Amino acid sequence: MSGYLARRIASALPTLLGITLLAFLLLRVLPGRPGSAGREEGMVSAEAMARVRAAAPAAVSPAAGYAVWISGLVHGDLGRSEHDGRPVTTVLGEALPWTLLLNGTALLIIYGLAVPFGLLSAAAPGSRFDRLGGAFLIGLYALPSFAAGLLLQQWVAVRWNLLPLQGPPDIPAGAGWWQAVATTLAHATLPAVCLALSGWAFVARYARAVFQSALGRQFLTAARARGLSRTRAVAHAALWAAVPFVTLLATILPGLAGGSVVVEQIFSWPGVGRLYLGAIETRDTPVILGLTLLSALLVLAANLIVDLLYAVVDPRIRERLEGEPSGGR
Amino acid sequence: MRRDHRWRAACAALALGILAAACSPEIAPPPADMAPRDGGRFVFPLRAEPATLDFVDASDQFSALVTRLIGDSLVDFDADLRVVPRLAESWEFSADGKRLTFRLREGVKFHDGVPLTADDVVFTWRRIVDPRSHALAWLDGFLPIDRVVAPDARTVQVTYREPYAPALQAWAVPIQPRHLCEQDFAVDGPCRRAPIGSGPFRFGSWEAGRRVVLHANTDYWAGRPHLDSFVFQVIPSQETTLQALLAGEIDYAPLTPVQWSAYEQNAAFARRFDTVRFVPLFFYYIAWRGDGSNPFFSDPAVRRALAAAFDRDAYIGAVWRGRGRATRSLFHPAVLPTGPEGGMDPGAGEAEGPEAAARLLDEAGWRLDPSTGVRVRQGVEFRFTLLVFGGGEDHVMFSQVAQESLRQVGVAMAIERLDWATLRQRLADGSFQAALSGIVPGADPDDLRTMLHSSQLPGGRNYAAFRDARVDAWLDEARRTIDPDRRRDLYLEVDRRTRLLQPYTPLFYPLQNAALSRRFGDVVASPRGILDHYPGAAKIHIVAEAP
Repeated sequence: MSGYLARRIASALPTLLGITLLAFLLLRVLPGRPGSAGREEGMVSAEAMARVRAAAPAAVSPAAGYAVWISGLVHGDLGRSEHDGRPVTTVLGEALPWTLLLNGTALLIIYGLAVPFGLLSAAAPGSRFDRLGGAFLIGLYALPSFAAGLLLQQWVAVRWNLLPLQGPPDIPAGAGWWQAVATTLAHATLPAVCLALSGWAFVARYARAVFQSALGRQFLTAARARGLSRTRAVAHAALWAAVPFVTLLATILPGLAGGSVVVEQIFSWPGVGRLYLGAIETRDTPVILGLTLLSALLVLAANLIVDLLYAVVDPRIRERLEGEPSGGR
Repeated sequence: MRRDHRWRAACAALALGILAAACSPEIAPPPADMAPRDGGRFVFPLRAEPATLDFVDASDQFSALVTRLIGDSLVDFDADLRVVPRLAESWEFSADGKRLTFRLREGVKFHDGVPLTADDVVFTWRRIVDPRSHALAWLDGFLPIDRVVAPDARTVQVTYREPYAPALQAWAVPIQPRHLCEQDFAVDGPCRRAPIGSGPFRFGSWEAGRRVVLHANTDYWAGRPHLDSFVFQVIPSQETTLQALLAGEIDYAPLTPVQWSAYEQNAAFARRFDTVRFVPLFFYYIAWRGDGSNPFFSDPAVRRALAAAFDRDAYIGAVWRGRGRATRSLFHPAVLPTGPEGGMDPGAGEAEGPEAAARLLDEAGWRLDPSTGVRVRQGVEFRFTLLVFGGGEDHVMFSQVAQESLRQVGVAMAIERLDWATLRQRLADGSFQAALSGIVPGADPDDLRTMLHSSQLPGGRNYAAFRDARVDAWLDEARRTIDPDRRRDLYLEVDRRTRLLQPYTPLFYPLQNAALSRRFGDVVASPRGILDHYPGAAKIHIVAEAP
């Protein structure tokens, strides 16, 4: 097992390098000079521009630039933002927790509602609940998140004053942990619901299909014929269905830290999505590279975790992995 | 409403050309029995976070808004864009116009208690011209300086290489404390992220991506500001800004014409919010690349013809619901009153409209080909591409309206949408035929030099590649001319000539409408908004408790 892990990590390294190299080259061919912030133009003369340019570090070849970046990376240094001059690791470190909090909450909301819904739909396919619920979720799926965000803000936050309108939580000094958690959840709810809208329909349909195929399996029919109760049969089916859900997790985990530009903009959430957008607009190369590296790491890590989870939930895969060093594939 | 009538009357006067200056903002004075009292906090929304709070390196508009409250400058601009004293008690130019001497106020202290002296002023100049700095917002006004010396703690002598009329504008830079910032070139050091100044507010905290909090400087030399704290809240979305205003989370919000239309008839809204209106120092324009790289725009007559084809007023009426002001001059009315808006040639009162445009194009040799509906000259069809900023709704919408106007006079214009960084680079490289953009001129007419002077090509903002010996000479002379009347006459010459030659076609100023909580009094707007003038935020005070 550990040998397998080591080989998987070693094989991920070239992929990681390839992704960063590609991002680096793409940024080189992208038109627009770095640091061009701001929508409006101020008045700056040719003389002033020439002076500032002369003091700027000389442009290096792409190869040399990439080499410098990689050698920094090896030492844990991702460079400094060209926008505000701070270390990229600091900038990422500030944005990441907010995005993890928001997307983690969204994930809980999605799975917490969609999986039971899928199970119930699959247990009674074609029922009124199945049809109406499915149509409702598809309706939510079709709702653009910017429109949903504005509606939630206008009604839930402003008119009914039930939840905070925007921004991450402000934990008052000296607040107890329960108060901190309550404030945090209150602030995360609206943006998380907004993020969950499109996820619900997808996961629910997926869950429904998985459970339905599980419930239709012969082993269940056989077990039921031998007198197994309906509830226990469904429980068996749910366990059997865990494998496809683990696969689904692989596609969702990287998105957890990817951030959502639209939702973070609408809810003034200082997360990774807004950081990404701002960095691209200002051509802040070090920050874009840092964010790309982060996404790439997450995708690779998610794949690895999922492969390991397969081994946990499926004894057949576990046996194969453990037998691998001698028997091979 | 009484205020609205006054506003309309003012604008009518403006349209008639009686009132040359920008519509002055109309804000309700506080009731007489409510004396300004201290306390409260004002929350102001920012669209994006400041890049830095370094007084000299701050070059984005958000950084500038925050730093001018923390720092103090020698002089500043009031709400009418006139230069007023701030740290400097007085100043005088020498007879030859080359030396400017400031006398500083007594007893000014930085927020850490250290006295501010002439030495700090000299240091601030050094920081700006230091090659390691990136002081793009200030550098231009400091390049003509030969040296700055401090004969004593309260006197600053600035020597210019030659007479420099816009000199005072540069000294609106907030003064940095030498004792703290001399060693601090670290990009995330305290002078950048937690600055100490001598202004009406002291730095409190900066929560990344969220807000900057300032507190009243109770030891301010001009008396403490009335507010206890001033909060800059980062809200990227315009829609959320409106909702935050309605929820009472912020106290001021610039609104779009559409948002304004939705609320202007709403009585509850009017009870809670007052209206702030101003013509901002920002206008849209089209640059015609006139260096011969295309067969169209080297000819001023063609540029005039296209400008005549645009119906600016119809656009403002239909799309902006009247909340904009067409302009034919590159000079903002508050910077240089150029008289009645008579057209491209104010002397001749040249006609506008599709017929005038068609006649000008005919005269320039571009004849309509009836089979295609497109004009042709020497076998070349009049087909060109306009670059626009695709992320700006106004940029895109106006270009579409302009496209239709030009089609009617037989000119085929394609529109290419770009992101801001790419548009800027194409403009700077001159790789375009025509481009729609926006620009923020400064409070001095000399600022347009970077768009118009032949020395500003390449590297400056002379995107049109405009070269005119007479305009060059006037701009150079105006820069050296200290006498304000003579100087104004020179810029009026520049205005007439640029209307005639039309290297750029100025389009319009978007009239700014903002809602302001009625809890506050003495909020005054300048063409730069409610904060970017002096005393500005220092005078804002609470007049009533929240309803």
